Amino acid sequence: MPQIRPGVRRLFDLMLRRHDIASRDVDAEIALHLELRIEQLVRQGYSRDAAKREAERRFGAIEHARPSLEQSAHERDRRMSLRDWFDSALQDLRYALRGLRREPAFAGFAIATLALGIGANAAMYGVVDRLLLRGPEHVREPERVVRFTTTVARQVAPGVTSSSAGYAAGQSMTEVTFGSAGYVLYDNLRTHARSFADIAAYVRTTPALGRGRTARSIDGGAATASFFTLLGVRPALGRFFLPDEDATGSPALVVVLGDAFWRSQFGADPSIVGTTIDLDGQPHTVVGIAPRGFTGVELSRVDVWVPMSLYSQSVTNNWPRSWNAQWLYVVGRLKDGVSRRAASEDATRTHRATYDGPPTRAMAKARVDATPIGFTEGGRESTEVSVARWLIGVTVVVLLIGCSNVANLLLTRAIRRRGEVGVRMALGAGRGRLARLFVTESLVIAALGGAASLLVAALIATLVRQSLLTHIEWTASPVSARVLLLAFGVTLVAGLIVGIAPAAHAARGSLQNAMQRGRVRLGAGALPTVLQATLTASLLIGAGLFLQSLQRARTTPLGFDSERVLVADMAWASLGDIPRDAVRARRNEVLRRALSRIQLHAKVERAAIAVGTPFGSSFGVSVYVPGYDSLPKLGGGGPYVSAVTADYFATVGTRLLRGRTFTLSEGPGTDRVSIVNETMARTLWPQQDVLTKCIRIGADTMPCARVVGIVEDARRYDLREEPSMQYYIPLGQESGFGGSVLMVRPRGSPREFSATAVRVLEDTDALVERATAWPLREQIDPLLRPWKLGATVFMLGGVLALLVAALGLYSVMSYSVAQRTHEMGVRIALGARTRTIIAMIVRQGVVMAAVGIVAGIALAMTAGGRLQALLFDTSPRDPTVIGIATVVLLAAAVAASVWPAMRAGRVDPIRALKSD
Amino acid sequence: MADALPVVKGTLDVLVLKALSWGPMHGFEVTTWLEDRSGGTLDVEDSALYQAFYRLEARTLVAADWGVTDNNRRARYYRITAAGRAHLRAQTTQWLRYAETVSGILSAPVR
Repeated sequence: MPQIRPGVRRLFDLMLRRHDIASRDVDAEIALHLELRIEQLVRQGYSRDAAKREAERRFGAIEHARPSLEQSAHERDRRMSLRDWFDSALQDLRYALRGLRREPAFAGFAIATLALGIGANAAMYGVVDRLLLRGPEHVREPERVVRFTTTVARQVAPGVTSSSAGYAAGQSMTEVTFGSAGYVLYDNLRTHARSFADIAAYVRTTPALGRGRTARSIDGGAATASFFTLLGVRPALGRFFLPDEDATGSPALVVVLGDAFWRSQFGADPSIVGTTIDLDGQPHTVVGIAPRGFTGVELSRVDVWVPMSLYSQSVTNNWPRSWNAQWLYVVGRLKDGVSRRAASEDATRTHRATYDGPPTRAMAKARVDATPIGFTEGGRESTEVSVARWLIGVTVVVLLIGCSNVANLLLTRAIRRRGEVGVRMALGAGRGRLARLFVTESLVIAALGGAASLLVAALIATLVRQSLLTHIEWTASPVSARVLLLAFGVTLVAGLIVGIAPAAHAARGSLQNAMQRGRVRLGAGALPTVLQATLTASLLIGAGLFLQSLQRARTTPLGFDSERVLVADMAWASLGDIPRDAVRARRNEVLRRALSRIQLHAKVERAAIAVGTPFGSSFGVSVYVPGYDSLPKLGGGGPYVSAVTADYFATVGTRLLRGRTFTLSEGPGTDRVSIVNETMARTLWPQQDVLTKCIRIGADTMPCARVVGIVEDARRYDLREEPSMQYYIPLGQESGFGGSVLMVRPRGSPREFSATAVRVLEDTDALVERATAWPLREQIDPLLRPWKLGATVFMLGGVLALLVAALGLYSVMSYSVAQRTHEMGVRIALGARTRTIIAMIVRQGVVMAAVGIVAGIALAMTAGGRLQALLFDTSPRDPTVIGIATVVLLAAAVAASVWPAMRAGRVDPIRALKSD
Repeated sequence: MADALPVVKGTLDVLVLKALSWGPMHGFEVTTWLEDRSGGTLDVEDSALYQAFYRLEARTLVAADWGVTDNNRRARYYRITAAGRAHLRAQTTQWLRYAETVSGILSAPVR
């Protein structure tokens, strides 16, 4: 006989025996019936044998009748046991509901806890589903679509340590990857590469809708005609661009509207197709409407799409073949059966073979890689997506804490009801039956919690969408079908998890002994409480680290005073048919006049004009330095050039380290001078007197521009960058690039001054059609989004977890105190002071919390390594953060233990001794 | 005696319930009860009766327990439940109405 567990064997015996019993009963019934029939027939005069035959005849052929009756009997038994099971389950359900109604506080708390945990998970699943799991809408087979990145070799600047954490671990310091490219790369790949079904390019733009003073900025996109066919998207109305409309020589003034924009701006009027709208001062014909939710290969919304050729005209001269400018992103669709690796090799080969720029440029030997479209610039996952991954972890942790709390509550409740359980067992309830009772209770609580969680999920999801991830086009409702499905699944699992402990105890009959074993009084609550403290500590530490990162990112020195500067741009009215030089001269004259007027304003400290500004546009022209055949190539690239007026450095707050700034008289036609940044000085002329040096800008034959000053390094486009060489020249001495903006440093807040600035500028001259002004900070704040997101979610999770864990601790301590009433009575009778009792109880609670905190810190430290990449200038082991988290948790533990402790202190010794 | 009538499908259950409404009986007792009441007109195999018992049991219209007969023999006694009584009442009414309607149509004089 194989060794089978007694309980299992009993179960089998029961099942087999029932079958046999039923068969035997049927036999007995048939036998009795035949016997009585025979007797009746014999009484009527039949012989014994004849009676027997007649009896069997009347019964029906025995050989068929018996098995058929047996079958019916088994069917009957089956139906009846099913009915029994159903009835008892219903009974359990009613009992569970009654029990919950009798203890509304417990029920409310348990349901609320589960609702929060399940709801948070469902909400985050919805967010993560959009960010990570599903591809962009309306893209056919997104896994076959790739994004091209370019990798070139760069040198590290001598004497500079590079600690940029933004680069993927393992990437050599001498390689730089970037995602943007020039039209020429797109063209070359499309014409000559063989691994791709098609290749396209796109970029995000900010066109102005409407004319004159009432114009406003909208979210736009420029794309090649091949973009839409490559993605496989169909227009909701009309069509997308024709190849002719995207021709490099003569692009058409056409536009495709985004669905949300069409609805909000034009009331979803289908007759808009064929009419024109004003973009950037020119009428564009609407040729189609994009389907709902289409945003290209990224997730941020797009209001209007224009042809790439049309947009590129405003980027630079010779944009179809220039290797000097990179403003678009190139994507491709792999041919069937081609791997990404093979495609990358093909793309690299094609690029190197078709490169026709200067052969000494690093770009000549660049590597072109085909990466999945989920990756952003530099071939890395966007920080938002990484943070989203961690968010899942946070919500799962909150759910676990909630479940463990509710499980604990249910267990202590079960122990409290041991008397009733004992009665049931005495009345014959089996252990399995009891276990089922407890599981039903927990499933009911979970079901109610699950229903409530949908509301929580909708709230949290809406909150996250509208405050943290506003730039993404959300098309699904916060509680979509997939979210519902997940909520249902999680509810089921949660219900089973929390029901296991009490059910297991009931099945083992250990509830009876629970109270005899003194250890259980705290044992039942200790482990889950410590666990909760651990998880809560981890969450709070995470929150602290993100908050710290956010703070540091916000205040990290950028090389200029970002909160003091206002940027102003002007849109010019048309001057009619006059030569371009004359137009430029007129505009410059108005610009200078505008600058003077602004500078004279009482509320303005300083102002300047600049071409090439931080977090704005960057320009690079060829630079020849005496003593260098070719300039060293730094990680950050360069050298980049800006043309500025005299007051520029004081306006933006870039410190002058040596020498002087430009004077008012220096400009077009005067001696060539330049100011270099620290990195440039250190790289080109280490240990030498920089102020005696000069550089030739544009060509080797240009007069050498004397270096008259050194300024500190300023960030160009990101919070953390590789160092790059930058230099400045007086406004008017630049050639080959343009695009002036005004930088203003008002006395007060830039935002408050923006309306005034716009008025002053627009009043300068009728040539200024429209002026816009925005604080420079607005261009930098979006970069803080990932840390804002992380901080918010970890804070929410941490606070939630803290609440739940504290309430859990409170209930465990309350229960423990209630069980130890006798002991308290004895202590008080023996003379213990109230203070001592309170201290004792509180100490127990705090010890549990402390153990959990230590474990939580250890957990945070080990996981810290992976968190490092997401933080900004913060070590995962930051002692301040850990210290604060510890204090907060201990305070919560004390607060949670104090109430029950006070109750313990107030025990009436006489009553306590008499009871129990 | 006239030719035996085959039992109309579905009515056997009601007949059994009617029998049991007089009190708990075991299988053979119900058989003889029906034979007496119908004067032998109904043609039903005994085993069909037991099928009816098991069906009714499954539907909880009838409950069964082992007991002892007058002659100290072990027999399975069936008794009608409250649900069974309600079912019997409803079916009886329905059947009588049906019979009345049908016989009314069939006994109308031929024109």
